Amino acid sequence: MPGARAEAIDRRPSRRIPWVQGIRRQTFVGWLFVLPALLFYAVFVLQPLALTVQYSLYRWDGFGPATWVGLANYVSVLSEPKLLETLFNAFRLVLFFSLIPVALGLVTASVIHRVATGRLGAVSRTVLFLPQVIPLVAAGIIWGRLLSLSGLVNQALAAIGLGDVTRAWLGDFDTALPAVGIIGIWVLLGFCTVLLVTGMTKIDAGLYESARLDGAGWFQEFRAITVPSLRYEIGVCLTVTIIAALAAFDIVYVSTGGGPGNATAVPGIQIYIIAFLERQVGLASALAVVLVILVLLVILPIQRLSREAGR
Amino acid sequence: MLTVRFQSALAERPAARLSVLTLATILVTACAGPGPVSTPSPAATVAQASSVPSAVASGPSCGTDPVKLNAYFETGFDLPFKLSEEFTKQYPNVTWDIKQDQFTNLMSSTPRLLAGDNPPDLIRLPSMVTLVKDGLLKNLDDYVTAFGWDKFPPAQLAQNRVGSDGVRGSGSLYAAGLNYSLTGVFYNKKLAQQIGMTEPPKTVAEFEGLLAKAKTAGLLPIMAWNATASGGGLAFPLQNLMAAFGPTQPINDWIFQKAAATIDTPTNLVAAQHLQQWVEAAYFPKDVNAIEYTDANARFGKDEGVFMFNGDWQNAVYDKDMSTNVGFFVFPPGQAGGSLAAMSAPLTYGIAAKAKNADCAAFFFNWVATNEKARQIDVAVGGSNPGGPPDLAVPQATAPVTNETLAAGAQVAKDNGAMDFIANATGSIFAQGWTPELQKLVGGKQDAAGLLKAVQAEYAKELAR
Amino acid sequence: MRVARRELYAGRALLVALVAVTILPFLSIFTTALYPSGSVPSGLSWPANPQWGNFIEAFKVANMTSLLTSSVFIVAAVVPLALVISTMAGFAIGLLRIPGARLLLLLFVFGLTLPFEGIITPLYFLARQIGILNTRVAIVLPLIGLFMPFAVFWMRAHFVNMPEEITEAARVDGASTWDLFWRIHVPLARPPIASLGILMSVWAWNQFLLALVLVEDPAQRTMAGALGAFQGHYATDIPLLCAGTILILLPTLVVFILFQRQVIAALLQGSVKG
Repeated sequence: MPGARAEAIDRRPSRRIPWVQGIRRQTFVGWLFVLPALLFYAVFVLQPLALTVQYSLYRWDGFGPATWVGLANYVSVLSEPKLLETLFNAFRLVLFFSLIPVALGLVTASVIHRVATGRLGAVSRTVLFLPQVIPLVAAGIIWGRLLSLSGLVNQALAAIGLGDVTRAWLGDFDTALPAVGIIGIWVLLGFCTVLLVTGMTKIDAGLYESARLDGAGWFQEFRAITVPSLRYEIGVCLTVTIIAALAAFDIVYVSTGGGPGNATAVPGIQIYIIAFLERQVGLASALAVVLVILVLLVILPIQRLSREAGR
Repeated sequence: MLTVRFQSALAERPAARLSVLTLATILVTACAGPGPVSTPSPAATVAQASSVPSAVASGPSCGTDPVKLNAYFETGFDLPFKLSEEFTKQYPNVTWDIKQDQFTNLMSSTPRLLAGDNPPDLIRLPSMVTLVKDGLLKNLDDYVTAFGWDKFPPAQLAQNRVGSDGVRGSGSLYAAGLNYSLTGVFYNKKLAQQIGMTEPPKTVAEFEGLLAKAKTAGLLPIMAWNATASGGGLAFPLQNLMAAFGPTQPINDWIFQKAAATIDTPTNLVAAQHLQQWVEAAYFPKDVNAIEYTDANARFGKDEGVFMFNGDWQNAVYDKDMSTNVGFFVFPPGQAGGSLAAMSAPLTYGIAAKAKNADCAAFFFNWVATNEKARQIDVAVGGSNPGGPPDLAVPQATAPVTNETLAAGAQVAKDNGAMDFIANATGSIFAQGWTPELQKLVGGKQDAAGLLKAVQAEYAKELAR
Repeated sequence: MRVARRELYAGRALLVALVAVTILPFLSIFTTALYPSGSVPSGLSWPANPQWGNFIEAFKVANMTSLLTSSVFIVAAVVPLALVISTMAGFAIGLLRIPGARLLLLLFVFGLTLPFEGIITPLYFLARQIGILNTRVAIVLPLIGLFMPFAVFWMRAHFVNMPEEITEAARVDGASTWDLFWRIHVPLARPPIASLGILMSVWAWNQFLLALVLVEDPAQRTMAGALGAFQGHYATDIPLLCAGTILILLPTLVVFILFQRQVIAALLQGSVKG
């Protein structure tokens, strides 16, 4: 890493030769400490990422020779309705994987914080968190059963007199994406709730005391104190869940496979299908690059906002 | 899954036809074993020399030294497993390292497996043309002469031949069929009786009359699957309707990618319109877009649905679930007395170009086609015609429905009505064309004309790559 | 805190409802798993004659012994190595503050936002090129790389908050950098290392995409990867599928319940700190 070493030399405190050598030595040893991690990261993450960019400029079936096509694959990604639809679907998933869990998580967290500081709070935190630790594939299988025509969801609906709306939720064009979204809510709500509860415990209790002296109710308190104080945690929740939404794969693969039609086709699924089934490595890579950029475009402003707001 | 013979095609996409073909030729001659001219490759020679020292004298075999066959079978189908057990019983020096996966997964993984470091000696092939072009499959021409497969009925081998121009149907042999399937309509005898069906319908109109009767009787007329994981099962009735209202040749031409072939023809439009009417009349389950292949069969086995479009590979399961309550007929023609047509395809297995035990694998293929015990297993477990030399009788089936499908197969053969599957036309036409478009048809987001146009557009796009 | 009685009840009712909704899916597959193999149970009801044998049957048909061995191998190969190298890197970036530390941190943090799908295609071709395709190594090596952003970020957050006095005292005693790391700071960092280890074990166990693409043989995959194959295999036999699903997710649940403090802390602080 010649660049880094040059930087080290530039910064050395002048004249005190022994110190400098100490620092240079320490710098060298320090870099040795970073090296293994950096190596794994560079070889198995950064290198493939660069390769994705490279592949995206070629037409290649993975076996034969590759043909340079410039930005043609990107034009396809941004013009073919089927592929655009997957990007659109990814953003629709954000509503379910991100906005709802964060909103519902805020409410739940504030409820736990206010009325269930004891055992109930602890139990609900643990239980709500459970779906977060099981394989997403298992979540997909479980909910695939629940949302089927003869599944628990329809039984419950029929039991409360809503027999008319029962359907195969994952197989219906209008409901498949929301149904996948519900699986996402189930998985991610606990994460958001627990993170937000933890944030709330750090809020100065005096703020609440004075608010209450002013006669503030739950909602005023929630709006005036809780949410603003938690901007940073909310930012983190949004970041994590939005990435989960845009990069969704496991749940969709298992529960719908992208169907019916293209109703739940998301970039992750299409990248897999295009790369390994259609064997258009270039096109799949272009879609992958677009996905990476989209994630960054959405995440960076959130990070900025929440960092400015917090701490 | 259904997918069995239905979806065959991983990537029959003539990507950059010329350059790939040139490369394939080089690959084929360089490392993939005999090319069209049947020159044994160095790899094949080494394999023969090392595994079967005496091969020269007695033809390819498994020898007497311990051999471990590296095999990839399709999850959910017992036939190859049972055959492998029996084979080891007869040839104890041969043991098996069997891996299995779902058909849809095999579709995407086969090229990776064949190109890998431990190439399979035997593998269920979802498709052929691209694999042949990439030089990943062993050319079996040498075995054709060595084992006398050239005396089999030529039609048996034709679907597994690939020409040097990348068109299937003639050329060198790249795969063997463990058996030869037939598709048609299974029916629940008890429910059929209930709607007054005394004999199989003779025309599409008669069949549609029965569907309407079933609907009025409060029964589900047709059980089917159409979920993404299994692929669009409505392609079965659709293709049957196509062959009822039009000739089979253009359909086969389209599947084999003959120049200028199109699926968007006037008779196919009539077929698709009929399918659309069936959908609108709610002849299929209302959750059909969420039903997977195995679910559909389980539900049919539990008396849900009078009819089901499927293939004889499912016979053993139907026999177990429904025993004498299940019957079979070939989908009727459009006009009374018209010729019969059905989708029918070999259960295709191939050998990797770099396989270590190619001779033994080929010997296994020959054994399956000719050994009495193997042929019995083929019929009893696989439910299909075992093929093989014309002078060998087809063994008696234990499941009554299998005798019906075998008899029906003879009729179809007589009418020369065999078709491959429209889902097999190109590598991703099923996943990216038929399945989503048929699902849209079910969901009311697509009509008959739009369905054919969309699939043809996808087909053209894939061929243009 | 004084809270109105009405609010107290409404709040608790909401929590109980949420807990119920969260746990129902688990209960539902559990009761389903106890129905006779081959039946099609619907909804939530306790079977008349619970078939506990289904779990044994699922264990056998899913070839669970080899799956367990495979997953344990992957976890055992990934986690210790990933822990060591990420702790070292976190130490250098957070505590030694080597020149370029900020840039390095940024580089690793960038990886936190990277969807796996973004690199899965080249990973496949890389694995093919090195000849590790279809072996567990093909899952292990990339997984270590993919864990680095979070792991380094997490360990750095620990080290950056260590009081400098500790380091200076050690330096005065003439400790080398390695001593400083190994004798002084690693023992102090045990809690965050433990949390990270648990977390990475669960993630490795649950990893699906890498397993799906890089390893064909389900018996060589991670648990989650194998579950995908198991689903196809036993789609008709719903009780058995449910039993298999439970067996596969059970270890993660057990780990979570045993170490929930650490898991939650790691997940939360990992995303908040820094």
